Amino acid sequence: MSNDEIFAAAYREHYWAVSRYVARRLDGRTSEVEEVVAEVFTVAWRRRADLPGSPLPWLYGVARNCLANAVRGYGRRRRLVDRLGNDETAHGRQIVASPDAETPGSWVHDALARLSETDQEVLRLTAWEELGVDEVAVALGCGSRAASMRLHRARRRLRAEIDRMRPTPPSADAIPAKEHGHG
Amino acid sequence: MADELELLRRADPVPVDGPHYGDGPLDHRAERRLEELLHGRPADRRTRLRRLRARLPNGGPVRAHRARLAWGLAATAVVTAVTLTLVVSGPGTPPAVAAPRPLVVQADSTPVPLDALADRAQRQATAEGAPPLRKGTHVQSWSLGMSDSEPPITLPTERVVRWKADGSHTELVVATDPRHPGRPVLDDGGGDPHLVEDGHVLTRQTYPPSWSDAPPESPPPHDVAGLRAYLQEAASYHTKLTTPELLDAVAELLDHWTLGARESATVARLLADTQGLRQAGQVTDRLGRRGQAYVYDAPGTRRMLIMDPSTGAVLGLETTFTKAEPEYGVEAGDVMDYNAWMR
Repeated sequence: MSNDEIFAAAYREHYWAVSRYVARRLDGRTSEVEEVVAEVFTVAWRRRADLPGSPLPWLYGVARNCLANAVRGYGRRRRLVDRLGNDETAHGRQIVASPDAETPGSWVHDALARLSETDQEVLRLTAWEELGVDEVAVALGCGSRAASMRLHRARRRLRAEIDRMRPTPPSADAIPAKEHGHG
Repeated sequence: MADELELLRRADPVPVDGPHYGDGPLDHRAERRLEELLHGRPADRRTRLRRLRARLPNGGPVRAHRARLAWGLAATAVVTAVTLTLVVSGPGTPPAVAAPRPLVVQADSTPVPLDALADRAQRQATAEGAPPLRKGTHVQSWSLGMSDSEPPITLPTERVVRWKADGSHTELVVATDPRHPGRPVLDDGGGDPHLVEDGHVLTRQTYPPSWSDAPPESPPPHDVAGLRAYLQEAASYHTKLTTPELLDAVAELLDHWTLGARESATVARLLADTQGLRQAGQVTDRLGRRGQAYVYDAPGTRRMLIMDPSTGAVLGLETTFTKAEPEYGVEAGDVMDYNAWMR
C-alpha cells in the first residue's frame, strides 16, 4: 500500500477514536471537536510518511499538540464567547441540573483536575483511551520506562486526591464498554 | 472501593458506546475531508469555518480562527435564481465593502403571531403545486471576520449545493454581494483580506456518493416531535435544545436541505411552540423579500428569524450585537451573521 492508502485506512479506522480523544479534552465544547479533529488529520496527512504500523497512539500525540495550539489560537474568539456566555450564566439561564451531577464522574473529574497536566494526561490515556504503557509512551513522545514511572506516580496522586475527597462510594453500574480500535 | 483507574474509567465523559463519536462508518463531513486530503485540495478556509459553527452560549454562531461573526445588510435585488455569473468590474468601481446594518422592522406593520403563521403554513402544505423537499441548499450569507490585529470585516458569499441521483453532490461557493452587483467584494482566502471580482469562485467541488442517513443528511421528519429530535441530533446536542440552539439547528437543516411546503410547515409549528420568540412585525430582507420577523433576545445579542408570511418558510436568520464590544471592534447594532436561504 502507498502512504496515501495507509493514511486513508488509518483515517477511516481511527477517526472516531480521535474524535473521542479530542471531545474528552474539550470539556463539553462539542462544536469545536470537529475542527480540531480536522486539524489533527491535516497534520497527520503532512506527516503521513512517519505514520507507524499502529497509528492510533501516534495520532493521539498529534491530537495532543493540536489541542494545545487550539487552546492558544482560540484565545480571541474564546474571550468574546466566554464574556457573552458569562453574561448569560449571570442571568441564570444556563444553570441546568445535569444528570451527571449524581454520577461518579463529577467528583472523579474534580480529583483529576487537582493533578498536574502531565499526570492527568497519562491517566486519561490509560483509563479513557485504554492505552498500554508502550502506547502511552508513543502518545507522550517519551520512553516506555518514563511512561511507566509517570503512570505509577500519577495513579498514586490520584488515589491520594480521591481518598482526601472521601466521596460516597459510587454504584457500580454504567461501566462503559471497553475502548477498542487502537493497535 | 474500586481502584483509581477503574473509577476514572467509569467517569469517561465520552464513552465509546455513548451517543456521540461511537465507532462506525465516517459521516459525510469526515468523508469529505478525507477526499480533500487525498486529492490535494484542502478545504477552503471559509467552508471549514462554516462547518465549525462554534456557538455563543444562547447568543448566536461564532466561527473559528478569524472568528466569523456575521452581519447583514439591505439588498436591492430580488434573487430568485442561481446568480453565479462572473461579473468583471471596471476600474474605479467602488467595492462592495460597506458595513451592513441590521434589518429594520416596519413601524406601521402588524405582527403576525407565529401560531397563525404556522396554521397558514399547514394549509399551504397540502395545496396543489406546493414546493417539494429537495436535498441541497442555496444560501447567501454575510459574515463578520475578526482577527487580533485588524478591525472586523464583512465577507459575503453565495453557496449552492446540488445533489444528484447517484448520491454524489457538487458545492459551489462564490464571493458576491447581491446588494452591489458587479462590484468587487472582500475575501480573506489565504489569510489576508483582499478584494476579488464579484462572482469570484472560492470553491467548486464535486463529492462522491455518500449514503449517510444521520441528521442533517437524512430527510427531516414531518411531525414536530420527530423534527425536534432530528434537530437535536443534527446539532450534536445531548440535551433538549434551548431556543437559540434550536435556531442554530434550523440553520443547520437549511444549510443541507431546501425545504418543501410540508417540512416548512413542521418547522413553523415547532417554532410556534418554542418559548422566547417574540413577534416583531414586517421586514424586507437583504434579498428584497418581505417577511415576518420573530426575535429572540439573549444577553449581548439578538437573533431575528425572518419567515415568509404566506408559506411559513424560513427566509433568513440574523444575529446582531446589542451591546458594544470595543475590545473586538464590535459596536452595538453590528450584525454578526446573516443567512438568507433561497429555493
